This record gives sequence, C-alpha cells and structure tokens, in this order.
Amino acid sequence: MSLTDERPDASDDDASAIDVDAPPTEFEPAPPTAHYDPPTGRVHPDSDLGWIRRMQPVVMGHKRSFAIAMAMASVALFSNVAIPAVVGSGIDEIRADGDRVSAWVVALLVLALLRAVFTFGYRSRLYKFAYAIEFDLRSLMFRHFATMSHGFYDKVQTGQLVSRANSDIRAVQMLLAFAPFMSMMMMTFVLAFVFMLTKHVLLTFVAVSTLPLVFVFGVKLRNQMFPLSWIVQGRLAEVATTVEENVTGVRVVKAFAGEERQIEQLAEQARRLRWSAVKVNDARAKYAPIMENLPRLGMALTLLYGGYLAIDGQVTVGTIITFSSYVLLLQAPFRMLGFFMIMSQRAAASAGRIFEILDTDAEITDRPGAVDLVEPEGRVDFDLVRFRYDDEDLDGGGDDGDAVGRDVLDRFDLHIHAGETVAMVGGTGSGKSTVARLLLRFYDVNDGAVRIDGHDVRDLTMTSIRHHVGMVTDEPFLFSASIADNIGYARPSATRDEIIAAASAANAHGFITDLDDGYDAVVGERGYTLSGGQRQRIAIARTLLADPAVLILDDATSAVDVRVEAEIHEAIERLAESRTTVVIAHRLSTIALADRVALIEGGRVLAFATHERLLADEPHYREVLATVVDDDETPDEEAADAEEVDA
Amino acid sequence: MGGFGPPAGSPFANPGATGLPFAGVPQELQERVDALLETEPVHEVPPVEFSQAEWDRRPFTLWRFVGEKRAAVAVAFVLVVLETCMVTAGPFLTGEAIDRGVIPGDRGALVTIAGIYVGTVVLGTVLSTARVAWTGRVGESLMEALRIRIFSHFQRLSLNFFTAEKGGVLMTRMTSDIDSLTALFQEGLVNMFVQFLTLAIVTVVLFVVSPTLALVLFVGVLPVMLALTLWFRKASDVAFLAVRDRIADVMSDLQENLAGIRIVTATNRAKRNVVGHDNVLGEHRDANDKTAVIGAVYGPSTELLGYLAQALLLGLGGWLVSRGSLSVGELAAFFLYLTMFFSPIQQLVQLYNTYQQGRSAVRKLSELFATEPQVPEAVGAADLPQMEGAIELDHVTFGYEPAVTVLHDLTLSIAAGETVAFVGETGAGKSTVAKLVNRYYDPVEGTVRIDGHDLRDVTLASVRSQIGVVPQEPFLFAGSIRDNLAFAAVAASDDELWAAVDAVGLRDLVERQPAGLDQIIHERGSSLSSGERQLLALARAFLSQPRVLVLDEATSNLDLASETRIESALDVVLDGRTAIIIAHRLATAMRADRIAVIHDGALAELGRHDQLVALGGRYRALYDTWTSQAGVGSEVAASVPTR
Repeated sequence: MSLTDERPDASDDDASAIDVDAPPTEFEPAPPTAHYDPPTGRVHPDSDLGWIRRMQPVVMGHKRSFAIAMAMASVALFSNVAIPAVVGSGIDEIRADGDRVSAWVVALLVLALLRAVFTFGYRSRLYKFAYAIEFDLRSLMFRHFATMSHGFYDKVQTGQLVSRANSDIRAVQMLLAFAPFMSMMMMTFVLAFVFMLTKHVLLTFVAVSTLPLVFVFGVKLRNQMFPLSWIVQGRLAEVATTVEENVTGVRVVKAFAGEERQIEQLAEQARRLRWSAVKVNDARAKYAPIMENLPRLGMALTLLYGGYLAIDGQVTVGTIITFSSYVLLLQAPFRMLGFFMIMSQRAAASAGRIFEILDTDAEITDRPGAVDLVEPEGRVDFDLVRFRYDDEDLDGGGDDGDAVGRDVLDRFDLHIHAGETVAMVGGTGSGKSTVARLLLRFYDVNDGAVRIDGHDVRDLTMTSIRHHVGMVTDEPFLFSASIADNIGYARPSATRDEIIAAASAANAHGFITDLDDGYDAVVGERGYTLSGGQRQRIAIARTLLADPAVLILDDATSAVDVRVEAEIHEAIERLAESRTTVVIAHRLSTIALADRVALIEGGRVLAFATHERLLADEPHYREVLATVVDDDETPDEEAADAEEVDA
Repeated sequence: MGGFGPPAGSPFANPGATGLPFAGVPQELQERVDALLETEPVHEVPPVEFSQAEWDRRPFTLWRFVGEKRAAVAVAFVLVVLETCMVTAGPFLTGEAIDRGVIPGDRGALVTIAGIYVGTVVLGTVLSTARVAWTGRVGESLMEALRIRIFSHFQRLSLNFFTAEKGGVLMTRMTSDIDSLTALFQEGLVNMFVQFLTLAIVTVVLFVVSPTLALVLFVGVLPVMLALTLWFRKASDVAFLAVRDRIADVMSDLQENLAGIRIVTATNRAKRNVVGHDNVLGEHRDANDKTAVIGAVYGPSTELLGYLAQALLLGLGGWLVSRGSLSVGELAAFFLYLTMFFSPIQQLVQLYNTYQQGRSAVRKLSELFATEPQVPEAVGAADLPQMEGAIELDHVTFGYEPAVTVLHDLTLSIAAGETVAFVGETGAGKSTVAKLVNRYYDPVEGTVRIDGHDLRDVTLASVRSQIGVVPQEPFLFAGSIRDNLAFAAVAASDDELWAAVDAVGLRDLVERQPAGLDQIIHERGSSLSSGERQLLALARAFLSQPRVLVLDEATSNLDLASETRIESALDVVLDGRTAIIIAHRLATAMRADRIAVIHDGALAELGRHDQLVALGGRYRALYDTWTSQAGVGSEVAASVPTR
C-alpha cells in the first residue's frame, strides 16, 4: 500500500514499520531509563486463530508466577475442603462423648493456618499476574499506536478510541485472570463433591440440588443486567453532557433566557434515566433474592433428609453440619460461573476489537534498503504529485478536510532551492496544508514524487526525514509537561541554556519568565492555559531547537493581536534565515517574509514567482489576496514592506 | 455471603473509574439494547416549575430529603425487618430440628421444623424481592427529583459561578455527589439496616443459646476482626486512590500521545515515548500490586479468624456439652450463626464509608441550595415591556472582585437603533460593558437602564430574551443545526430558519450538509470552522429578533476571509437595531455610528471615527498602529465606509 506501482520489486512484506523496540537511531532522542521490563510476549499474528490462542504468548510471558500461584492454590483448596469435614467429625466426637475432640481442634487450627497462608500466597500472586497482563496489553497497544501512520488517526476519534481500548483491555485482563480463579473453584467443587459422595450418595445430590439453579438464575440475571447497565451508562452520559454544556455554555443559555427549556430537557433525561435504573433494579429484584435463598433451601432439604438418615443411623449429625457448610462453600462457584460465562462473551468481543487495532498495519513504512538522509542542503522538489485522502470519514483534516474523495493535489509541481523561503498562498481547500504532510511523509503520494536533495522521500528512512524536516502546525499542540520539556521535545538532552536561547529567538522568553514557575511551569491540559500566540511561540521555539534543514510553517496567527503577530513574524524570520522554509501563509505580512510565492489553486501550482512579479503578471493572485487580506484593501508593494515597520 | 461477582478488592471486580467519555454500547450488545428500548414507554414528564427568585430555602438534610417519601420508607422498613427475621431463623431451626427431631428420633418434629425452615426460605425470598423492587423505585424517584432540583439551581446561579475552576466543581454536584447518594439509597441505607439487624439478632440469639460461648467470642475474636477490618478500609482507601491517580496518568499520557501524534512523529519520539509510557504503566501496575497484597491479606486473615472461632467453639463447646449445659443442636446452631456473624461486621465497616460519602454529598448539596445568585431577580419583578433599545449607563462602577474595579464611574447613553463600538486594550473593561447590559452582572454602584427601566427591577428572562449576544467563543450545543439556531426561538418555522441562515450567508454550508438543517453538529461544533461557528451564532442571535444586539469580540478569532463574511452579514443583521460592538479590530469598529474608547475602566474618548482620528488622542494612536501593521495606506483606510 505504501509503495506505488513504480516499484514493483518491493513488496509490502519487506517494508518495515518503526520497530519501537530497536535501539534508537542517531536521529531519535534517547529513551529515558526504563524502570519496567517491556512485555515479553506478543499477540499471535495469525488472525484466523481463536482469541485465547492469540493471547497465549502474552500470558505465557508470566507462566512462572502463574505456575507458583496454581501450586499454592491447590494446597489452599485442599484445606478449604477438609475444614468442614473436620468440624463435622469434631461434633460427632462430642456427641459420642469421646475425648479426642482436642485432636480435631488441633487439626482444624492447622488446616485454618495452612489455608490462610496459602490463600494469601496464591491470591496475591494471581492478582499480580492479572496486573502484569494488563501492563503487557496496554504496553503492546501503545507500541502499536506509536507505529501507526496518519491515515489511521484521520479515521478514528482518539477520545473514543482510548475509552474503548481501556474497557476492552480490562475485559480481557479480567477474564484471563479470572479463568484460573474459576478453575480452582470448580476444583473445590469436584473435591468436595467426591468427598460428600463417600459419605452418602443421595444426601449429596439433595444437598447440591439447588446449586445448578443458582447458576441458571445467575446467567439470567447477568444477561438482563448487561444490556441494561449500558443503557443506564448511556443515559448517565446524556445527563452529564447536558450539565456540562450548560456549565460551559452558560452564557448562551442565559443570553437567550433558555433556563426553563434546559430544565425541561434535563427533566426528560432524568425520567429516562430513572426508567432504565428501575429496570436494572427490577432485574436484580427478580433474580438476586432467589439466588441468595436457593442455597438456604438446599440447607433446609439437607436438614430434612439428613435428619431422616441420622435417625436411621445412616449418617451422623456431624455430617449434616458438614454438608450444610459445603452448600455454603459451593454456592460461590455456581454464582460466579454465570458471571464468568457472560464475562467470557464480553472478553471475546473485546479481544476482537483489540486485535482489529493490532492487526492494522502501518501504511507508511521504511522500504527495504532505505537510506538515511544525511546533512541535506535542503532542496525540495514536488514532481507532478497527485494525492488524495482515503475516502473514509476524515476527521480533523484541517484546511483540506472537506476535500475527501477527490484529488487534493493534482499534478502539483514545485521546486524549491536550498535555503529559500517560499510562501504558499491559496484559498481554503486549495491543498496547501497537505503539501507539508507529504514532505514529512505522513502520507505517501498516489503518483509523482516528493524529493529532498533529489532523493525520493520513500527511499529515505522516516526518522532521518523527520530529523531534518521541522514543522510548526497551525494549531500548536503542547504536552502536559513543563515549558522546558515542551521546547526540548525533539531534543530532550538539550541544556537549559539551549532552551532559553531557543525561547528567546522565538520571542517567548519574556512571557515564560513572567509565569510563576518560569520554564518549569506545566502547560497543556493539566496545567497553565496559554494563549494561542504564546503556544505558537513555544512551538516555534521547539522547532528552532530541533534546528531542521527544511522547515514548514503553517502560519495561523489569526488569534493574536497585532503586537504579538509582529513578534511571531520576527521569530519566523530568524527561523527562516539559514534553512529552506515553506510558509503556508494566511496573511499578507507573512507573504512578505518569502523570497518567492507559490499560488496554489485546486491542488496545483498556478504560478510561482516573487510577490511583485505575481502582482504584476497574475490577475488571479490579486483575487486570492483579496480574500487573504482585508476586503477593502488594495494589495500593493507597500504591503510587502509593512513588516519593516516595528510595532 | 458476598455479592454475585468475584471477591471485593480483587482485580476482577475493579471498575475502570477513569473519567473517560462514554464510548457507546459495544456492538455485541446493541441488538439486545435495542430490544429493551423497544419496551420503553413514552414518558410523560411533568411540567417544570421554575422560578429565578423562589425555591425551597429550607436547609437540605438527609432526613428532610428522605422524609418526602415517609410512607414509602416505612413500608421498606417493615419489609426489611421481616426479611431479616426469615433469614436469621435458619440456624436456630437447624438446632431445634437436631435437638427435637434427630436426637430423640422424632420424625414428626423433624418434618415440621424442616417444613417451617422451607417456609421461611420461601417467604424470605418473596419479601426480599418486594424489598429490592420497592426501595429501588423509591430511591430512583428521589434521585430524579434531586437531579432536577440541582440543575434548576444551577440555572439560577450567576455567571461568577461558572468560571473554569468553579464550573468543574459545580459539575461534580451532578455527577459524583449524585453517585454517592445513589449508592447510599440503592445499597447503603437499606443494607446497613439489614446488616445491623442481622448482627443484633445473631448477637441476642448467641447470648441466649450460650452466654459463655458468646462472651468468649465477643472478647476474644471480635476486637481482632474489627481492628483488621478498620485497617483494611484505611489501607485499601489509600491504595485505591493511588490506583485511580495512576490510571489517570496512564490515560492522559495515552490520550496526549494520540492527540499530539503529529508532533510525536515529526520529532521522532516514538521509541522514547514508548519507554515513557511503559514507565507510567509500570507505576500503575505497582499501585495495583499494592491493592493485590492488601486484598490478599484481608480476605484470608478474616476467614482465618472465623476458623479460629470455630476451633474455639469446638473445644469449649465439647466441654460444655459434656457438662450438659449445652445441647448438640445448640452447638450446631452456634456454628451456623458464626458464619452469619462476621460478614455483617465486615460489611458495616465498608458501608460506613458509603454512608460518610453520602453525608458529605448532602452537605455539599445543602451548601449549593443555600447559595443565593449574585444577580437576583426581585420577587414579583415585572417583565420589561417591548424594548425600544435605549441603553443608559449611569455612573456605573463595577469589579468582578470587590478590590479590583474594572469600570469606574462610567456614564454613557446609547440611543435606540444606534451602533456603538467599544475599543481599547485588552483588560480595559470593554467586554464588561456588554456583560452589564445583558445583566450577567449587576453594577456595584450606579445603574444600567434600558428604556428607562433599571435592570434590577425587571425579570431576567424579559431582559435577556430581547437582547441577542454573540460571544467571542461561539458555543454550539451537541445537536442539529436547527436545534442550535432555534435555541432562542423554539417555534421558528423553516422559512424563518432559512431567512436567518441567508442573513449570515450560510446557505451554502447548510445545503452542503447531507441532512441540511437537521445535520448534527459534532461536539462543540468541531466539524465546522470557527468562522462558520461564529456565523451560526450570529444567525442564532438574529433569529431571536432582538432589539439590542451585543457582539462581544465576535470577530477576533477569525481569519480574515471569515471576518469579511461576518462583516457583511452584520450589515444585514444590525439594520434597525441597537448594537454594542466590542471590537478587537478597528475595521469592525469603524462601521459603528459612534466609537467609545475605554481606557482603565473609564470612557476616554467618544465620537465618530473621523472625529476621533482628528482628535489625535488614544484612538488615533491605535489607528496609526493598525494601519502601519496591516499595511493599509491611510487613503485606503479613509475610504472605508462608515455608517
């Protein structure tokens, strides 16, 4: 998929996505110290296998702790079954006025102690085993996400993806950990059942007769509860959304005096929620008391029949007590069996969704024999490039978002000298933002080629391209980390002095030092909220520090006031000085920074010359500029000089 | 005897409380969910009674809240008592059956007693079913009423409660506090009562059957059990809190890496971030492992206590039986009661947690209901009659916080039908003017009047419904374009909607949508550009046909192309209305009839564009900066049409 038909020799199988476990190349920042071992097992790649088989390698990575847990569990299990028998024998001993009661008391104490120690041992190990699997699954998922191409991210909504992946991983982990637990409980049942049979066959069947019903009703309960609880969750989310919207959109609600209607809407949602919650409750009312009381019925029947047998001398009173204890002990596995079955259905579906993600291959990969781009001069060529986004739902495609399903770039031809600054000008949907993504090889062209220093980007390693090509996006994304970490994102090893130098060059040093914590101030979702202009300058500093040979700037300074805009342009000018720079220009003052301007229309370069030449020769340029700059303004040479004036 | 799932505190019962968005019903359940929804009746929602000025101001307490359903609660109470009696009868009957039936060999007595036993089980089941169904209904109807009540009070609160930090806290009233109360009503209160009653009955029976045995049990085993349970509660609270914090870290790291994937790829961070994520995951695992150990200690050790008690009972009981002061049946009953004795203690300690959380939720809600809005509606306030649109700011002084004055003694009259633009530096106070006119806030001193009416004397709805506001950040509700447009004019016809769409020049956009006006806009309108969102907000304001229109920096976030579209839309929309334009760009301000320059919370200059330019003051300075920056020649700028 990644390679076009020009290169029939290279097949997909040989191409490699980023191997996140390989040591970093010289182009990649060194990883921090790993405090935890990475997962040892991978999900089995054969998608035809059953889900448990595919998960097996992951589980096998922890087989040692699992085996120890199971060994300990068998000791615990044995004492668990033996205790009621000892109690029964003790009671019989009392009845018989024997003097060996103390022996049974000692036996009980020893068994109880044994049980406690080994139960602790196996439970803590089994729980840890479950958490280790959760770690592995989450880690494997992240590793996979890290290798995916942008085409993948265009198609998914990350919030939902994360939420769904989270609950799916949990469902699988729960089942994988619960299965051994369940099997131990079933073993308990078998052991106790056999022991009971040796005492009295028919009484055994009477005692456990109600337990299968516990299982049946358990399944029924879960079957009704599961879909219902999703309805409740959905409705809770509905109410939460209304509340959230009314809090964040309070101005609108108040401005249009919409209070009463909002309450009406919430009242209706609350009523719907109530309906579903009562339904869940009714399902519980219907089955839970029966499940709770069935074992008691079993005990009553044991008493009745066991009493009869005891009068006949066939069993002892102690046996009745022992059997009653077993009924109590054995109801647990039957209750949980229902839970387990529903859980395994869910886990299978969840595993399916996890595999669906893991089975998606990266579209953009290094071809075999790809070479590193080394110390490029920065010559950039777009040779008759044709490109279209996949026609599936494209979310957040930016400028060209509504351009799905048609060629965004159509025989796009542009040749940029090393060290030159080029502005790309064009209306919305002209394809100018896509150009940047192709140069970084976020996507591959459908036809033609993108070249750096004459090398087709598909012949180069991705890491080397991205090392030498830097980008400042129109909506600068900052991570929840300190400002210093954000600026040093591409070069975590940078010293504080280097970071300050980059920030100063980006005209960001001033406002950073004004913050309480300066460079250590945490920004992003969980920290300071910076203004658009401030974020932009931090993004510029980030790119400055990376010092790329080729720079792409999506310049959206619309959110900033005039003074800040001047500061940003100053920073851009500094940035552009010593490298090839492509600026996606939204404003006249940005165009002024460029040596040459490419006028883009309908995915094609319409004209490529200096601003002055274009103004003189290209009537269409004036039209486009009119939408770029103020409507009433006549673009003229003066505009190009506007940048010289200091704010 | 536990619930229906795996043991508490184990990794299998650990719900994923991550605060993530609801990801929708999983496919495999969709069919069954749909089938269930088929059975849902059309709900008849009682009409909402809402008053800005009047609400139940009595302190909100648990007692008063539940007291609304006094009779229903009494029924539940009776059901619970009967049910518990049925459940606790079992061991006693077993003992009786052994002593009166088995040992003397009396089959008749055995059958009778065992029959009674079966009867209590059946009756207990029926009572339990009735109790669960009943308390569920009562609880849910209480919660429904509470949700509406909380939300109604939200609507009364003034804007100062909805800042970023306070807004988040406010939302938890409707989420976690309601959750705490739901837990209290669904499980907590009833269960506490059940467990308490069970404990009481069992204790009494134990003392009646054998005071010696009971005393040994109470002195020897109970304190250890209590201590252990208290330790567990504390330790597991701490441990689970840590787990929640760590999973939040995991989620935010993951989410951020996906949201910032372009930067991650562009900076070659994949390998580094994988290791970073492993480290975050590992801390989550460590936190989980701690809970594993705590859970694995508590379960087996309390069970061990139970067995120690049994051993004690066996030794002592044997001695008592041989002395003839205890029968074998009583000993058997004692054994069975023992299994009923520990579980209520464990559960009560856990439930106390639920109870405390519920209490704290009640406290917070009572604080909420006691909060008076900062902008109150006078009791019995009259509606503001049909507006002409004459606005008067009369010696207005205002500050968001008492110590910081934003506007200082501002006096300004705007004639009906006039457009006035407010310009000035960020923080000068120009937006505040808009917020006072709309009565988002009341002035600290001075008066704001519309058509001669002091805004404090009229109803909030009558003022606001006649003023249209287009805020800086256009807020769109999740829903269709139609819903959003008709927000202020529910009854608007399609023709009216299209007229509004045309007025702002959005017909193209709407026609391009597959569902037209009924196209659902993504959350906060993310599928639309900011310019389109702004135009929709403008259309929304236009549709409400306000007499006064307030544009609060409505164009400042736009690129120039969108700004141009909005400006031409404004020409249509402003026609014949009073308008207040808080402007960020001078191009917008120049269109106004008059321009007010606000500086340091006071009116610095007021007049027409050309007058102010000629004046050579602050406006002139602003204007000069702007022309030089934007590269607009002064002749060109002079030709900009002014209204």
